Amino acid sequence: MANQTLEELFEGLETVIGTMEQPEVSLEESFQLYHRGMELLKSCNNRLDKIEKKMLVLDDEGEMHEFEE
Amino acid sequence: MVRNAYTVGQINAYIKNMFTQDYMLSRIYVKGEVSNCKYHTSGHIYFSLKDESGTIACVMFAGQRGGLAFRMSNGQQVVVFGSVNIYERSGTYQLYAREIRLDGEGVLFERFQALKQELEEMGMFSAEYKKPVPRFARRVGVVTAPTGAAVRDIMNIARRRNPYVQLILYPAQVQGEGAKESIVLGIERLACEDIDVMIVGRGGGSIEDLWAFNEEEVARAIFNCPVPVISAVGHETDTTIADFVADLRAPTPSAAAELAVFDYRQTQERCRQYRQRLGSLLEGKVQFTRMRLKGYESKLGFLHPGNKLKENRMRLAELEDRLRGRMKERIRTSRQRLEIYIERINGLSPLKKLNQGYAYVQDESGHALKSIRQAEEGKKICVHVTDGVIYARTEQVKEEHYG
Repeated sequence: MANQTLEELFEGLETVIGTMEQPEVSLEESFQLYHRGMELLKSCNNRLDKIEKKMLVLDDEGEMHEFEE
Repeated sequence: MVRNAYTVGQINAYIKNMFTQDYMLSRIYVKGEVSNCKYHTSGHIYFSLKDESGTIACVMFAGQRGGLAFRMSNGQQVVVFGSVNIYERSGTYQLYAREIRLDGEGVLFERFQALKQELEEMGMFSAEYKKPVPRFARRVGVVTAPTGAAVRDIMNIARRRNPYVQLILYPAQVQGEGAKESIVLGIERLACEDIDVMIVGRGGGSIEDLWAFNEEEVARAIFNCPVPVISAVGHETDTTIADFVADLRAPTPSAAAELAVFDYRQTQERCRQYRQRLGSLLEGKVQFTRMRLKGYESKLGFLHPGNKLKENRMRLAELEDRLRGRMKERIRTSRQRLEIYIERINGLSPLKKLNQGYAYVQDESGHALKSIRQAEEGKKICVHVTDGVIYARTEQVKEEHYG
């Protein structure tokens, strides 16, 4: 799960929810699916970087520095 | 004297043949400034092309005039398409023009068309080579000028949609001498920087300003780039070769930023909705299961032996009630019947008959006196009437025949 993209994680969530919506799924399975859904959500959250970024500039020496307008 | 001398005609024919066999000279574009322009009465046009270094004589025959769409005059910058060959009569070479265009847009458009067709035929625009642009890129490369509207637009849109996405700019020269090399270098450098998607473009400008994005080198760099490329050149109406070869074409740099940078709030909202759905689905399941449990519980309670016992007891009480009821009823009806009998018996009592003037007669020994043969004169008899007995003696016995 750690190396999945957000897109793949969202797809996983859709599958989990789709399965949970089936009426024949047992309570035990539901708990397992819920658990898996929560783990996927946690991964999504980890994927959603919350550190604000400044634009970087790549110069001709291959060095990166902050972009100043 | 040299013995093997050639005639003028032979030399000119030889040189003419050399020119004719030269592939390049037979189809060539030449650009320069028009001078000595003469429209001949025959329909031919004689003129020269010149630049700082020199001149070349040119002719456009009347039959080729379809290749000229404007009135040519001295001082114009033109591009002439045709072939260079020898004019044997004067032993000079000249440019035989088939098409003449004003330099600038027309020629560039022609080059654009030619390259577009060439690359298209090579399959560089086909959909099968287009890489999908990731929806949730974390690092976005940008190849554009470090100054100007394009980089500002991209930065602003990215900041608004998702300030947590890392933008990496390669400050490229996007127009003039060296632009295409700079753009190509930018694409190659940024491709090594672990980015998810790359925006290559610039703001609006004239066709000459945008020209670097119509260069084959740039097209090839975009095509070969391992990272998906979004092209963003000029305004919506400008279309460059880069747009055709890119994995995704954005009409403007702002639009490219919209495509490359996912909306953070929207994504968070999506996560929130997933969480809610999961929660309510599980809750629903638990509730449903609880209801089923309740159902089983009541069914089981119903089957409990104590319940059965209670039920039997109730049934017993009911039967008892019914039994008592029946019994009472029976007694009541019996009593009624009894009363009826009493009534009837009363009706049949002989004493009743005595009421109406009849009497019941016995002899001395108590036998009922029914015939004259039982009676003797002077014998004692008892006459019963309703309120008592008359003791009497028989006076006379006489037989009578009734009926």
